[in-house]
Amino acid sequence: MSVIREMLRNLVTKPFTILYPYEKAPIPCTFRGEVAIDDDKCIGCSKCSLVCPPQVITMIDGPREVEFKGKSLARKKRPQVKLYKCIRCGLCERHCPTGAIHLKDTLSGCGTDKEAVIM
Amino acid sequence: MAEVMVPIGPQHPALKEPVNFRIYVEGEKIVRLELDLSYNHRGIEKAAEERNFIRVLPLLERVCGICSHSHATAFVKGIEEIMGLEVPARGQYIRTIIAELERMHSHLLWLGVAAHEIGFNTLLMWTWRDREAVLDTLEEMSGNRVHYNMNEIGGVRLDLSEKQVEAAQQRLPVLEERIAQYVDMVSHQETMLLRFRGVGKLSKEEILKYGTVGPTARASGVDYDVRRDDPYLVYDEVPWNVVTDSSGDVYGRTKVRIGELSESLKIVRHCIENLPGGPIRVTSAPKAAPKGEILSRYEAPRGELAHFIRTNGTDKADRLDIRTPTLANWTSVAKALVNQNLADIPVIVAAIDPCLSCTSRMTVIDTGTMAQGSISWEELVRKCRARYGTEVQP
Amino acid sequence: MTDPLLLAVYIFVFPGFLFLLACALFFQYIDRKLAARMQHRVGPPLLQPLADLIKTLGKEVIDVKGVDRGAFSAAPLIALAAVMTAFLYIPVIGASPLAFQGDLILVLYLMTLPTLVLFVMGWLSRNVFACVGAIRTVTQLFIYEVPFFLVMLAPGLMAGSWSISEIVAWQQVHPWCAVLQPIGFVIALIALQAKLERTPFDIPEAETEIVAGPWTELTGHRLALMKLAFDVSLVTGSALIAALFLGGPELPWVIAPVWLAALAGFGLFLIKTLAVLFILATLRVATGRIRLDQLNDIGWKYIAGAAVFQVALVLVMNAWWVQP
Repeated sequence: MSVIREMLRNLVTKPFTILYPYEKAPIPCTFRGEVAIDDDKCIGCSKCSLVCPPQVITMIDGPREVEFKGKSLARKKRPQVKLYKCIRCGLCERHCPTGAIHLKDTLSGCGTDKEAVIM
Repeated sequence: MAEVMVPIGPQHPALKEPVNFRIYVEGEKIVRLELDLSYNHRGIEKAAEERNFIRVLPLLERVCGICSHSHATAFVKGIEEIMGLEVPARGQYIRTIIAELERMHSHLLWLGVAAHEIGFNTLLMWTWRDREAVLDTLEEMSGNRVHYNMNEIGGVRLDLSEKQVEAAQQRLPVLEERIAQYVDMVSHQETMLLRFRGVGKLSKEEILKYGTVGPTARASGVDYDVRRDDPYLVYDEVPWNVVTDSSGDVYGRTKVRIGELSESLKIVRHCIENLPGGPIRVTSAPKAAPKGEILSRYEAPRGELAHFIRTNGTDKADRLDIRTPTLANWTSVAKALVNQNLADIPVIVAAIDPCLSCTSRMTVIDTGTMAQGSISWEELVRKCRARYGTEVQP
Repeated sequence: MTDPLLLAVYIFVFPGFLFLLACALFFQYIDRKLAARMQHRVGPPLLQPLADLIKTLGKEVIDVKGVDRGAFSAAPLIALAAVMTAFLYIPVIGASPLAFQGDLILVLYLMTLPTLVLFVMGWLSRNVFACVGAIRTVTQLFIYEVPFFLVMLAPGLMAGSWSISEIVAWQQVHPWCAVLQPIGFVIALIALQAKLERTPFDIPEAETEIVAGPWTELTGHRLALMKLAFDVSLVTGSALIAALFLGGPELPWVIAPVWLAALAGFGLFLIKTLAVLFILATLRVATGRIRLDQLNDIGWKYIAGAAVFQVALVLVMNAWWVQP
């Protein structure tokens, strides 16, 4: 009987479905979306590329002066992420000492181009 | 009547993952069956031995989508024990909250699948709808619906904020009410009772003989739960009960799982209300583990999960062996299916909540004679090295 | 309505084939929508059944090796033709112009045909799932057909006529048969559900057990036509129950202009048939699939017994109370 009761209740209430393109589910602040790199903060320590499970972060040449803990630092390298190979585990964000590499709360989409990169 | 062979799988609407049953039936009665596992061997154990302890965890989560936290926790638990690390209380509590939420989402999913197997799609829609509340909580806490990636050696990756705790607390009463509804539905819905009661019966002796674990074993009166009998995380501090049933059929397994749903809810509520302060992880976890061997046991939603880890003083595991609960439960399925109806195959198979791709094992097949067999570890290593031309290390 | 032109319109346009096709798709839509809303989903848009039909019609037809192509393609047409013909004898806006003594038996017979066709197709398919499904189809047929016939004939017994239109006319002056024969009404609904192979009686096409049963090897237009045949069957069956047990399209009082009477009759027909559909949809959503041996048990022990009891009750009522 509880089944019938619930069926009839559902019949008169609004469906649970979220009609995607018109309505969107809220995205939590912890959401792990597209990888982004804040070039001003990156000190080129390579930690992100070391912890990356699918090894999609490579360090490329990017010499630049950066501020770190009040001191000026000459970095040699900066990370480059292969966007569609990234599994968005968040380990780079967790291990980054300056918060330069982080995951945004926007979807990164998907694609077949395994070599597409973000800098 | 002559025997007819009905092939179920590797592609079949009842199966969500590849497995093959060759079922010999007389009319609608099953005479015997042959089981063929491992259509999807992914070589995760080997891949895990190639990665250091930081990089291996996201990989281990991908052993199984549904019990992703179980695999990661079983692994970090073992490594932490080898390292002799003391994980801060808050970290342990957060791990427990995620683990129990995961159990809830897995059991709700199972309930829907079991209902779907008997054609009761309404319950499937409802349980999966209510599962959204659990998944939303998990997403808020970890950022993902399934691969939470909350664990790391020595603690957890993310802390829980006040807001997250409040949001979770708001969802719990709703879930509690829904679970009560399901208890009512399962014990009163006629077709479910018809299809579940007395189907796939396994006695306590058979359960023990075939080494069955988890809710399947508990439904046959085996009072065994790793969470209580070999406590880890904070299960020894939280008040909860092991749910058992004596009927031993699919109905019993359903009742055990629904009972565990409310127990999990109790644990989550207790953990959230008594969340201790302090750090969520140790300040600096060592990179390498000393030489050692450990068997880390964990009560995954499907049953006892065992990770055997051997370390050799480096930052990688020397050997990792994963015994998933489904592997332990397969033999009991083969036993439970004999003399049952053809129509009961899906529901008996679903009753152990099989997770097939996690279970895949390697079989050695001689491509010439098609003979199957097994070979020793040394032999395998030698063959692999010969095949890939890797140097033999002393 | 003896004018041949009007008769042709009746058969081919309204309420004959064309209307029936639209009605079948509309009923499928209502059925799916109701099920979806009861399950807290959104459900398909109005034209989805039509889109499905067109899409399936356009799909590639795959021939199974060694199967008689002609028979395999003709079978769905036979099933469709049978149930569409059956509908012509069911009163929609008033008494059917084709009515004759015994059309009730003809309709019941024609409605059995799709099931038999399904068996033949399953058996022809040379596929183990289809074979198992085919055997289940006939086994199930033997279980529900006897009680179905018994309770469907009981209103005829009471009204003293084997014509559906006359039974409907009889109910104009007497209470509905659903009131006089409640057991028969319930059994008719259950048996119709079994006839249409809908949950809890979708045993022959149990998706999780035997893929799609006899439907497994059906592709393209064969599948589309067979599906359509079952949709039409749903309309015909619901309309038949509405006519036999709920008084059909006839009003107990006379309405002045003919067209208004026809319109009212049509409205009544729709309301009553949709009410039957609502019950069928609720039953479908509220249950899971039972097993064949369980259906055998329930069917012969309780449903057939109750059907015989109902017929006996009708005979007693005929003798003592209702004057035909």
